[in-house]
Amino acid sequence: MDRVKAYLRFLGTSFAVNVQAVVEYRANFLVQTFGMMLNNAAFAFFWAVLIGKVGNVGGYGFADVMLIWALVSSSFGLSHAAFGNVRSIGQIVQRGELDLYLLQPKDVLLNVLASRTVVSAWGDFAYGFLVLALLPGLSPGRFALFAVLIVIGAAIFTATFAAAESLCFFLGDATGISSAVTEFMLSFSLYPESIFGRGMRWVFYTILPSAYIAYVPLAAMKALDWGLIPPLLGIACLYAAASYGFFRLGLRRYESGNQMGARI
Amino acid sequence: MSAISVQRLSKSFRSKVRPEGLGSSLKSLIAPSYREVEAVREVSFEVEEGEVVAFLGPNGAGKSTTIKMLTGILRPSSGYCSVLGLDPSRQRTALARSIGAVFGQRSQLWFHLPPSDSFRLLGAVYEIEPEVLARRVPELVERFGIGPYMDMPVRKLSLGERIRCEIAASLLHAPKVLFLDEPTIGLDLVVRREVRALLSEIARRDGTTVFITSHDLGDIERVCKRAIIIHHGGVVVDESMKELRHRSLSRKFIGVKYASPVDFELGGLKPVKRTETAASYVVDTNEHRLPEVLRALVGRGELEDLTVEDEALEDIIARIYAAGASTGEAGL
Repeated sequence: MDRVKAYLRFLGTSFAVNVQAVVEYRANFLVQTFGMMLNNAAFAFFWAVLIGKVGNVGGYGFADVMLIWALVSSSFGLSHAAFGNVRSIGQIVQRGELDLYLLQPKDVLLNVLASRTVVSAWGDFAYGFLVLALLPGLSPGRFALFAVLIVIGAAIFTATFAAAESLCFFLGDATGISSAVTEFMLSFSLYPESIFGRGMRWVFYTILPSAYIAYVPLAAMKALDWGLIPPLLGIACLYAAASYGFFRLGLRRYESGNQMGARI
Repeated sequence: MSAISVQRLSKSFRSKVRPEGLGSSLKSLIAPSYREVEAVREVSFEVEEGEVVAFLGPNGAGKSTTIKMLTGILRPSSGYCSVLGLDPSRQRTALARSIGAVFGQRSQLWFHLPPSDSFRLLGAVYEIEPEVLARRVPELVERFGIGPYMDMPVRKLSLGERIRCEIAASLLHAPKVLFLDEPTIGLDLVVRREVRALLSEIARRDGTTVFITSHDLGDIERVCKRAIIIHHGGVVVDESMKELRHRSLSRKFIGVKYASPVDFELGGLKPVKRTETAASYVVDTNEHRLPEVLRALVGRGELEDLTVEDEALEDIIARIYAAGASTGEAGL
């Protein structure tokens, strides 16, 4: 229990310090946060025009598409706001900056992940809630279910990106693969499931698990079904454990380095 | 109990051989070849609790690799090391609570935030009770004279101010062993002296074991009691600073200046540098008796100046490096 308390204090302080670091540049923080919300809103306009012309896409109406955007955007945002280094692990390893984390009495992966927040992710996170608020049928139950689903989504995003980044331990440079994983995860998540073939669907229910971030949560939201939460939680734990194990396996191969550096 | 125990510790890295030219590069894409680079080779030594030890060696000698194995950053390829009775690669987290580290090239302070925020976070990292932290921080702030910088973003601090904050941060959790890798790199003379004084005080007052690598021999002379020198991955010298200094006793540096030109040839002894009226000699006292040499120089003409000096520590170590480079072993 003491361990859990100590980790919660560490994560809380880390998050507070990260927020202080980004708020230090107030203008940048505001521009990036609201810029990201605007960027996401542009896609809503695109979908509104498209669905207005063709009726629906793959069985999805405008509200479905917006709900998917809300879920994915907030999950992605939460993942990068809380664990901002999730897509920088490869770079940190390559530059030998893992030394700093290895010198501290905390779990290395958790320490690395929690050491940064991504400013634009705050915009993504807020955008999902804004869309949810604008969609019809907002209720406390729907809001609570959305909040739980995006925590699960954030965990799955984090686990998948961390695993892709950990490839750098084995390949040296895995930047390309990691970028591709991000692109695929987002592309699979933000379009209706039925437009993809069976082979692709197998991919996003297994190695690139965007189904558990977008399609399953969408079904849960539409039916206000809390019954899907336990299996989704189990799946998130499974991906997190696999990703953690993969990182630990890679860590054994860490070779450090001598490049000069500072904590930004 | 030894604070640090190292037995036949080795570390090898597998390095890809990169041939020159496009053709060879393409060939290596299909059939890459690798070679083993031995960064540390069967290094053994013990450091007692409270000792202040300099770990020296030229660039690429294996100093940083050894420190990284001792702090749990790297896993040894073979051999064994323990710090405070713990195996760094297997008990990294437990060890991290009892050691501190300052890497001159890396900062543990947040660049955009004042040190006070980094201290708060490090308190959470090291699980220091808030009330203990509230006592400890002002104590370190006063001791290191960093009060004026505590609320300034680290990016606005000078290197000297930053390194003082770094060392204070590394002592927050009262470590029993402090590892310092080039702590005075890039610092000016005045700040270097301040840092050395602080390190000496840490060792004296707190009884902290200090293990320091530095290219600045001023650090070593003023702070350390013992030196371990490694070269080509192996230990070539492990002795007290006193013993290291004794290595120079058989070599004396003599400088003379006369009022008018004289003949500087002294039997078998030739000057290493000379002008018409001045010269310097390096005298090996095993071959020449010093009083006789001095008598001969005094009788050579009207003296204006005469100096006799021991060899500088820098030169002693440079000779050890050079001997190590040519033979792979120690020798003077």
